[in-house]
Amino acid sequence: MSKGLTTAPFTLELRAQCHWDWKVAFYLYGAGSSAGLIFLELLLRRWNVIDEATALWGMWIGLVLALVSLAFLFSHLGPSARWRFLYVFRKPGTSWIARGAIIVTILVLLRILILLPSVPGFTGLPWGEETTAGALLRAGAMLFAAAFMAYSGLVLSSWNSIAFWNTPLLPILYVAYSFLAGLGALPLVVLATHGGEKLGEVGSILWPSLLLLLALNGFLLLIYLWGMATATVAARESVRRLVSGAHRWSFWIGVVGVGLVLPFVMIGLATGQELANNPATALWLATGCGAIQVGGFLLRDNFLRVGVYGYPV
Amino acid sequence: MARWGFTVDLERCVGCMGCVIACKAENGTPPSIHWMKVVEKEEGEYPYAKRTFTPLRCNHCADAPCARSCPTGAIVKRPDGIVVIDKDVCIGVMACMSACPYYVPYRWDGEDGYYGEEKVPYETVKYAEFKKGTAQKCHFCYHRIDEGRPPACVESCPADALNYGDLEDPESRINELLRQKNHFRPREELGTNPSLFYLTGKGGGKVGGGK
Repeated sequence: MSKGLTTAPFTLELRAQCHWDWKVAFYLYGAGSSAGLIFLELLLRRWNVIDEATALWGMWIGLVLALVSLAFLFSHLGPSARWRFLYVFRKPGTSWIARGAIIVTILVLLRILILLPSVPGFTGLPWGEETTAGALLRAGAMLFAAAFMAYSGLVLSSWNSIAFWNTPLLPILYVAYSFLAGLGALPLVVLATHGGEKLGEVGSILWPSLLLLLALNGFLLLIYLWGMATATVAARESVRRLVSGAHRWSFWIGVVGVGLVLPFVMIGLATGQELANNPATALWLATGCGAIQVGGFLLRDNFLRVGVYGYPV
Repeated sequence: MARWGFTVDLERCVGCMGCVIACKAENGTPPSIHWMKVVEKEEGEYPYAKRTFTPLRCNHCADAPCARSCPTGAIVKRPDGIVVIDKDVCIGVMACMSACPYYVPYRWDGEDGYYGEEKVPYETVKYAEFKKGTAQKCHFCYHRIDEGRPPACVESCPADALNYGDLEDPESRINELLRQKNHFRPREELGTNPSLFYLTGKGGGKVGGGK
């Protein structure tokens, strides 16, 4: 099949882009969340909130998530062209895709370098956690993680063809969502590495931060949609399709319900009743954190699907 | 050096789709890909309802958003202003398709021909010129332009609604038309500086933002 507006009738109507599909959405979610996770991990490790084992495991999980999302991106490329993906670095002067490819590549390489000393056989490498070289690598990783989170929004907002994306608020929203998904993944990492007991220890910092981020993301989403609902015809059509059109169920139930309200209520209830320190509620809280990931992916997916072009003439 | 431009006279277009067919015959594009389109719009209500026709094609913008967004540099502008895609460099990212406000580019992933799985000899020859998984769009029939012939769509138009010419040449047919008729360029506010002008009626004046 061809890609593009191939089946569109020859009539002058507002049309949504249909070639950037769920694979790109997963890349934006996966690589963005992975960047959010590594940024927060390095920061919280620096502040001694989490231990080294959690930080390392989180980085491994984040690396795998980034590589899986890159695999989805590769499968989105042309069937016979994907092996020439190295061309993608050629025009960083004008193309945000090229800039993003450079950023994500450096970020993955930095992660591998940071993780190498933890691999048996490489433990003698001179850039462990306590060394100057290690600190520089970690600072670099944080810088490129922040850059990638911003990139995941900038790549869409840089195009004025689709008004719904063409706003400086989109990178801000995507950075906030990357932080949310990263922070939402951290309890899952703690749970996987140390079990429910440790989760209770770090929970005093994680849960209030998560509640705050959930509220902030909800507020940003509201501001975003409100702004777009008063913008151009194409942007208003995008908002209509999102909140009351074909994508309304995915948006209200997935992005708002599962992604924001459900985890807010679950975590709020658990922490309010001090259940967060109880290992028995770990599964309950992990479900909330999983719901955040679902909402993060669906936000990217819905935003891509309701990207409506303006009239061509 | 010439800068090729294109005019579409909206008063003259009758929606015959001759340009669409001519483009397909010339370039052999697959069934779901249309480098040239004529879109219809219904306006007004009975008894004053009418249908208008607007031919759409690549505008060969001077500041082409497709070329800016392409990470591989596959989309390049020739010295004469024609924007072309190098299929050997394109990797099918589809950034150009998102960036183009006129939603002009397509990506061809290989597909059946007009008569099913088995392609007719014409399709076999023409499809071989495309590369699976790469973007494609109108290239202003540059192979004809280079030979001094008009693009296939212009040549086929029975109503003389489509014209082309050198925007740098004050005596060219296209500049003559632009002096004679009111005109506008599509989505000019986006800063793409298109080389395509829609003529809307008597009036004329300066060439859009240029001379």
